[in-house]
Amino acid sequence: MTTLTAGGADAGRAGSALNRRPARPRTWWKPVLVLAIVVGATAWASAAVGTDPSALWRNGHNAVNTLTQLFQPDYSFFPQTLDALGETVQMAVIGTAIGVAISLPLSFLASRATNPERISYRVVRFVMNVVRAVPDLLYASIFVTVIGTGALSGIVALVLFNLGIMVKLISEALDGIDRGGQQAALASGSTWFGANRVAVLPEISPAFLSQTIYVLELNIRASTVIGLVGAGGLGMLIDKVRTFYEYHYLALIIFEILVLVLALDLLSSYVRSKVVR
Amino acid sequence: MSGVAVGSQVAAGAASARPKKPLRLVRAVIAIVVIAVVAASALGLDISWSSLLTAPKALAHIAHLMFGPPNWSKLPDALSATMLSVAMAWFGTVIGIVISLPLSLLATRGLVPAVVAWPIRAVFAVLRAVPEVVIAVLMLSVTGLTAFTGALAIAIGSIGTLGKWGYEAFESVDRGAIEAATAAGASRSQVMRWGVWPAAQPEVLAFWLYRFEISVRASAILGLIGAGGIGKMLVDNTQFRVWDTVGILLIVVVVVTMIIDQVSGMLRARIITGRWQLPLVGWVRRRSAARLRDASAR
Repeated sequence: MTTLTAGGADAGRAGSALNRRPARPRTWWKPVLVLAIVVGATAWASAAVGTDPSALWRNGHNAVNTLTQLFQPDYSFFPQTLDALGETVQMAVIGTAIGVAISLPLSFLASRATNPERISYRVVRFVMNVVRAVPDLLYASIFVTVIGTGALSGIVALVLFNLGIMVKLISEALDGIDRGGQQAALASGSTWFGANRVAVLPEISPAFLSQTIYVLELNIRASTVIGLVGAGGLGMLIDKVRTFYEYHYLALIIFEILVLVLALDLLSSYVRSKVVR
Repeated sequence: MSGVAVGSQVAAGAASARPKKPLRLVRAVIAIVVIAVVAASALGLDISWSSLLTAPKALAHIAHLMFGPPNWSKLPDALSATMLSVAMAWFGTVIGIVISLPLSLLATRGLVPAVVAWPIRAVFAVLRAVPEVVIAVLMLSVTGLTAFTGALAIAIGSIGTLGKWGYEAFESVDRGAIEAATAAGASRSQVMRWGVWPAAQPEVLAFWLYRFEISVRASAILGLIGAGGIGKMLVDNTQFRVWDTVGILLIVVVVVTMIIDQVSGMLRARIITGRWQLPLVGWVRRRSAARLRDASAR
């Protein structure tokens, strides 16, 4: 854009030399600097993790081995996975339901558009930033030691994980709403709570529904993993088969996760297309 | 919307009467189904909900052990482990970007034939569905229990998301530039370079950064299976219940993640809006403006 207009002005000024190219803007060092930083950071990171591409060749036969086992899932293992599969889905559903229910009032507190009160706004936002910064597996491993192994620890971990995501997404959606209805309600003497309930909630509900489905999807994925530390579901099964390198079984579990996630993906894109017009 | 229209029509007849609430059968059915599913899940799980009652007390006890006070002497160890996790995330994301960029161009409808685009999209979908930890478990047999394995797992995992976001961004580009490039006789790769890339570039750069934020969290998780970094240290200390060390690790994870999110968020805002939005600068400016206002009022 800038080069075009500069070129036009240049051409006007130097009418005699029409063929002369416009001068390049003197900002070439900026991308070069950014590139240098990125390359430097990558080189440092590569050294830090101990990059060893030759391992890929040296142990290539292992990779081939693993892959061949992966493509031959052992279907006879299926009945034994059913319980864990069901548990994963149930954990995800309950975790989403509880997390989403708690996140709704919190998101209203965490948006400037719906919470005029500075202190509670700051406090909720700060706490939510902290909650979001802790990885879900960490929650799971803490609750497994506090509550004990099993689905309950997983559910509590998922609830906290959902809170972080939902409050961020919904409060950002709240920041962007059209505040006309809310201001009308306030002007006619409504309380902030009443104005938010009557004028803001209906406006936000499509976004809320669509984010809920997105979070459910995330939870299915997360609940397959948090089992690795003993929080129930497919993860516990993965942990069991991986210690014995039974990739036939692992392949079946991965296949099940795949089907589950893809099915939910289809469902969620269908529902979202219905909800958000 | 339709409710308002109906309401105003009815109200025209009887000004004082409230409009009848429209009956939303489908909604009611969906609500009942959702409630039933949640209830069935809650009942179907073999859970002793009563252990939740004792949890807050146990949690408070552990929190006291963790933070009263945390073991500050482990801070240098925690920081170097975090640096390794961040390195893992960065390196993995960069590899993921390098691989996913050409692939997502090849998965863009309108640029390449559907025969090429759909298989690549399917690969993205599969990669997105498999959790990074599972990918790492599979990689273990090849590269061993190293941070390099973690970086590769992050790279493979990020190809799925980056690829999807990529072709979505490329598809939403304004067609004008593409048509202009085609009309001027550009080849397919030239259309990609001059018709698609400049328009999609800010968005693409922004979600590369966003993916790095996700990778930082993922790398902490990968430590769990032994890929090194902060995650490994955390799991080891949690398992042996060295709570004061877990406390310092938690503090480091939370602070570092928040700093990276803030910096990355600032860079993303700069890329998208073209302006720097430094958090402190805005705050100071608002403060001084308020003080000036107060002074002039007095």
